[in-house]
Amino acid sequence: MLGFIAFSVRRAWHGFWHNGLMSLAATATMILMLVLLSGLIILRTGLEATISYVQSEVQVVAYLKDSATPQDVAALETSLQAMPEVSSVGYLSKEKAYQDFLARHPDEADVINSLPTNPLPASLQINLADPNNYASVATYLNKQPTVDHVVNIKQTVDQLNTVINVLQTGGTVLLVVVGLIVLFIVVNTIRLAVVARADEIEIMRLVGASDAFIRWPFIFEGALVGLLGAGVTIVLLFLGQGPITSFLSDYFKVLPIEAGATVGRDIALTVLGTGVGIGILGSYLSVRSYLIR
Amino acid sequence: MVSPETSDSKPSQNRRPDAPDAPDSEPPKPVPTRIVLAMQGVTKSYPNGRVALRGVDLMVPEGDFVFLVGPSGAGKSTVIKLLIRDELPTKGLVLLDGRDLGRLKRRDVPKVRRRIGVVFQDFKLLPNKTVRDNVGFALEVTGARAKDIAPAVDRVLRVVGLTGQADQLPGQLSGGEQQRTAIARALVHNPRLFIADEPTGNLDPVISWEIIQLLLRINELGVTVLMATHNAEVVTAVRKRVVALENGRIVRDEVGAAYHRED
Ligand SMILES: Nc1ncnc2c1ncn2[C@@H]1O[C@H](COP(=O)(O)OP(=O)(O)O)[C@@H](O)[C@H]1O
Ligand SMILES: [Mg+2]
Repeated sequence: MLGFIAFSVRRAWHGFWHNGLMSLAATATMILMLVLLSGLIILRTGLEATISYVQSEVQVVAYLKDSATPQDVAALETSLQAMPEVSSVGYLSKEKAYQDFLARHPDEADVINSLPTNPLPASLQINLADPNNYASVATYLNKQPTVDHVVNIKQTVDQLNTVINVLQTGGTVLLVVVGLIVLFIVVNTIRLAVVARADEIEIMRLVGASDAFIRWPFIFEGALVGLLGAGVTIVLLFLGQGPITSFLSDYFKVLPIEAGATVGRDIALTVLGTGVGIGILGSYLSVRSYLIR
Repeated sequence: MVSPETSDSKPSQNRRPDAPDAPDSEPPKPVPTRIVLAMQGVTKSYPNGRVALRGVDLMVPEGDFVFLVGPSGAGKSTVIKLLIRDELPTKGLVLLDGRDLGRLKRRDVPKVRRRIGVVFQDFKLLPNKTVRDNVGFALEVTGARAKDIAPAVDRVLRVVGLTGQADQLPGQLSGGEQQRTAIARALVHNPRLFIADEPTGNLDPVISWEIIQLLLRINELGVTVLMATHNAEVVTAVRKRVVALENGRIVRDEVGAAYHRED
């Protein structure tokens, strides 16, 4: 058994280097495809980050009655914060609302100043863990005696959900399609490399080599192509990490994106797994047609 | 390992109970000869509908030397492909040492192939391996232990007379030397049956003679030899058993015969 593995690895190694051009073509294709795939994965990570950022920005706004005392407001804030659907609660006083309005509409200062009292209500801004849970929060707020009314955000949430669904489905479809194309191209490049050695396989069969002795060297060789391709891809991604991160944070200026260590590690593992996996699959499929019928 | 004909349980084998191929004209051999290979009522049609063999019956006792002759397209290579179980018969039986190749399990095919040495017109050598490594390759890929390979290779290289060229690449050899390398490779598993499909097809007459002499010597060492050929001159000169195929049928099976019918 150990002898068999040693044989297969040795043959794989020789096969790889003795057919330099074919191995190079297969490895280069592998690298190209893995870079394409990881680029797509990085973009998708950015998309997911954008989506959760946008989702975290969805707020339920509740206008408070002028009669609400600071104690009422504090109690309401506490009870809201205790709800699992709520991620944070902000308070906007009548005075602050007035300042904000003036800052935004300096032209209408005359109008608002001509009124006898400050017409703008105080409000609570409630950020939600998941915007789809807005209804229970809104229902709760509507029952509070201190709440004047709650801004209905159903339409906004629905529209947001539609957009998110489209983006996520599109992203997944794109990833799957590109993944299949990558699979097809890499498997076929490896097939070419195997076909180029059909003579060798034929001789092995003629002299009585078993299927395992024919197949495993090629599988190890495919794994080697995958390993090498993934290695180079990871190095390229590592070198490109700085520019990619600064591009992403430029592009999504507002987003708190860090292409952090875990993202990098996940992508590296994905690239490695995909490379080795496709390499093995490609060899397996290519050699299969040459084995004993 | 080898079932003598008498112990073969397959009833179809008993259709020809006596060995009709044991010829009177040959030097006497021990009488209950073992049948190395037998074909019974073999028909082979390829997937494209081409019928390459029709009802072929052939028996080759151990130690025989058989020329398989006939025009191109007669079915010679098909016979050989059936014998090494590269193809399966459409009808009929192909027996090797009494084993039905048609019912051989897939994983047993390599073991059977190791007991047959086979060479072709186009030597099928690996161009980037030396003579020694080409021959050793047959052992390496069948799981031989590394320390057993070198002595076995040296032995067969001596048989074919290539000891001096052991470290050359096929490209540095003449056609005859390349074919002798292929023969050495085919011998390295100590086969009981040696099959050659037009081994001299690419070689000039003098070199062809050397190859024939080599095959005759291998036969003298006790190996059964089956050689498909076009080479009328050689066949006629050697006077061995001649099986002639035409259009997928055996039209002549004569011992000590010439390439063409002599009536
Ligand atoms: N793989 C194949 N597929 C289809 N037809 C084949 C195949 N191999 C041989 N044939 C046909 O079978 C017939 C016998 O071929 P072959 O056995 O190669 O003859 P020979 O070796 O005597 O020249 C020919 O008509 C040939 O065209
Ligand atoms: Mg032929």
